[in-house]
Amino acid sequence: MKISRALWAQLLVLPVLVSLAHAADDYQLGPDSQPKEGVPKGELTKHEWKTSEVYPGTVRDYWVYVPAQYDGEKPACVMVFQDGWSYCNPKGQVQATNVFDNLIASGEMPVTIGIFINPGVIPPAKSGQNPRKNRSLEYDTLSDDYARFLIDEILPEVGKSYKLTDDPNCRAICGASSGGICAWTVAWERPDAFRKVSSHIGSYTNIRGGHVYPAIIRKTENKPIRVHLQDGENDLDNLHGNWPLSNQQMAAALKFKDYDYKFVFGDGAHNRKHAGAIFPDEMRWLWRGWKNEGKSEKAAE
Amino acid sequence: MPRSIVLSCLLTLVATGSAFSQDMPLSDVLIPGEGWELVSEGHKFTEGPAADADGLVYFVDVPNSKIFRIEADGQVTTVDENAERTSGLSFSSGGKLYACRNGGKKVVVYPDPKNDPAQVKVLAEDVTVNDLVADRAGGVYFTDPKNSRVVYVDPGQRLHVVAENLNPNGITLWSDYGTLVVTEGTEQWLWAFRVEPGGLLSGRGPYYSVVQIPSGEEKTRADGMAVDDDGRLYLASAAGLQVFDNTGRYSGTILKPQDAFLSNVIFGGPKFDTLYVTCQDKVYKRKVQPTGRPAWLPK
Repeated sequence: MKISRALWAQLLVLPVLVSLAHAADDYQLGPDSQPKEGVPKGELTKHEWKTSEVYPGTVRDYWVYVPAQYDGEKPACVMVFQDGWSYCNPKGQVQATNVFDNLIASGEMPVTIGIFINPGVIPPAKSGQNPRKNRSLEYDTLSDDYARFLIDEILPEVGKSYKLTDDPNCRAICGASSGGICAWTVAWERPDAFRKVSSHIGSYTNIRGGHVYPAIIRKTENKPIRVHLQDGENDLDNLHGNWPLSNQQMAAALKFKDYDYKFVFGDGAHNRKHAGAIFPDEMRWLWRGWKNEGKSEKAAE
Repeated sequence: MPRSIVLSCLLTLVATGSAFSQDMPLSDVLIPGEGWELVSEGHKFTEGPAADADGLVYFVDVPNSKIFRIEADGQVTTVDENAERTSGLSFSSGGKLYACRNGGKKVVVYPDPKNDPAQVKVLAEDVTVNDLVADRAGGVYFTDPKNSRVVYVDPGQRLHVVAENLNPNGITLWSDYGTLVVTEGTEQWLWAFRVEPGGLLSGRGPYYSVVQIPSGEEKTRADGMAVDDDGRLYLASAAGLQVFDNTGRYSGTILKPQDAFLSNVIFGGPKFDTLYVTCQDKVYKRKVQPTGRPAWLPK
C-alpha cells in the first residue's frame, strides 16, 4: 500500500496532537473556580495566632472566609484547610474561595466559613538564626494534637466573631501532602468534631509513621467519616514512600471497609493542579445531601 | 541555566512546593564503598566525642576517667588521666574544651587543652551531670538526669534550671545556636527548644520523631547527637546512627559499626567530613558526603 504524503503528515502530527491534548498533569481550573458575574463574593480576612498551648512558641497566619450569605443568626458550617494560604490565595492552584462563592450561591454547598491556616513556625530569638518549621510535626504526627489545636484553640477563637456549627457532619477538613494526611488524622482522632475529609496528594507514607493507616482502617470498627482522596500516578516516590501506591492502599482499605469514600486518581505530580481542577466537583460530592444531614441525624436519634 | 528559567523554577517551587520540604535521603549522606573504620580500642566505655579547630577529635573513657585525642596521624594520645569520670565534652570559641565530670560532680573548662591540658577551671560544682554543650556566649548547658532537668551555666557561672520534667541524656545545639535539642533514652522523640537571649529556653516541642526502636529493645536509647552544615541531625541510638532532616523528619539509619552500645557522634577530620562515633569499647570513623563544621569556627 502506498501511503500518500498527506497521510504521512497526519500520522506524524497525530501523536503530537494527542500528546498535547493529554499531557500529564495539565489540569486547568474550570468556570466554577473563577469569579462569576452575579455571584456574591465572600470576604477573606487575615489573622495571626501566637498563643498556642498545643504547639508552644509557634506563630502562624490564618485567613477566615465568610460567605456573603452568612447572616450572623444561623450557625455556619466550617471547613478547615492546612497550608491555608495555598488554598485561599486568589492566584493559587485551587482558589477555594471562588468555589465556595459559586457553590454556596447555587445551593450545592451549605453556608460555610472557611478557615485557612498556615503551619506554625517557631521564629528565632535572634536575627540570623533559623526558624524551626513546625509543619511536619503538626501535620505528619499520628496523634490528636492537631485536632486539639483546632478544637481547643482555633475554632473558639474564630467562634468569637462568627457563629460556627458544632455539628461534626457540618465540619470538613482539607489539605495537601502532609496537610492531606493531617486532615485524615483529625477526623480519625476526633470524628465527634470533624466528619468530612478532603485529601489531596496525601502523605500516607512513612514520614512520621502514617503509612500504617490502611492497615489500621482495615482492622478498626468504622468511624463516621466521609472522605475524598485525590492522587496522581506521577506523584512522589522517595525515602518516605510511594505516594501513588499509598493512596491506592488507602482507597482499597476504605473500599474494603465500605466507607463513604471517593478516590480520584489522575496523572498529576506532587502539586495541587489536579486538586484545583476537581475541587468544585469534590465539594459537591463531599457536601452532598447537606440539606438533610442535620434532619436525618435528628430522625435517627 | 538562563536566569529566567532559574527564576521560573524558583517561582514554581514557591507556588507549588514551598510547603513540601526538601528530602534528605541517606544516599545524600553515605559514600559508596566507605564503611566504618576502627580508630581506637581497648577502652571500657567511650563517650563525649568533640572536635577542635583542626578537626582533631577528643573523646573520653568514662570508667577509666581519661580524655583522649586522636592525632592527625591516627595516634591516640592521653589529654587528661584523672578526668573524674568525665562523660561529656564540648568545644567552643577560642578552642576551649568544656567537660562535665560525673564523678567529680563538676562542670569544668580546659582553656587550652592542646598546649596546656593541666590547666582546668571549675565552672560549676556539686552538680549531677551526663552530657553538655557550650554556646557562643561562653555558657554551657548540661543534662542532669538524676534531677530530671537541664541546667544552664551562664558566662558568669550562675546556674539556671532551663528545662524540667524530662529524663535528659544527650544534648546539642543547632549550628546557629538558636535551637537546643535534648534526647531522652526512653521516648520516641527528641525535644527541641528555642534559645532565648540570656540562655533561657522556650517553645518546647517533640520536634524530631519518630525515633526508631530496633527489635529486641524496649527503648530507643537515644543518646548523643551531631548536626551537619545542611541542618541534618545525627542521633546515636540502639538502632544505629539515626538521621533526621531539618524539619525533624526521620531520614534513615546508618548501621552501627559493631553490635554494642552506640553512645555519641561528632564530625571531625581536617575538612569535618568524617563521622566519629563512640561505640562501647571502641571509636570508629566514617567519611561521608556532608560536612559538619563547628559553629564556633570563623567562617
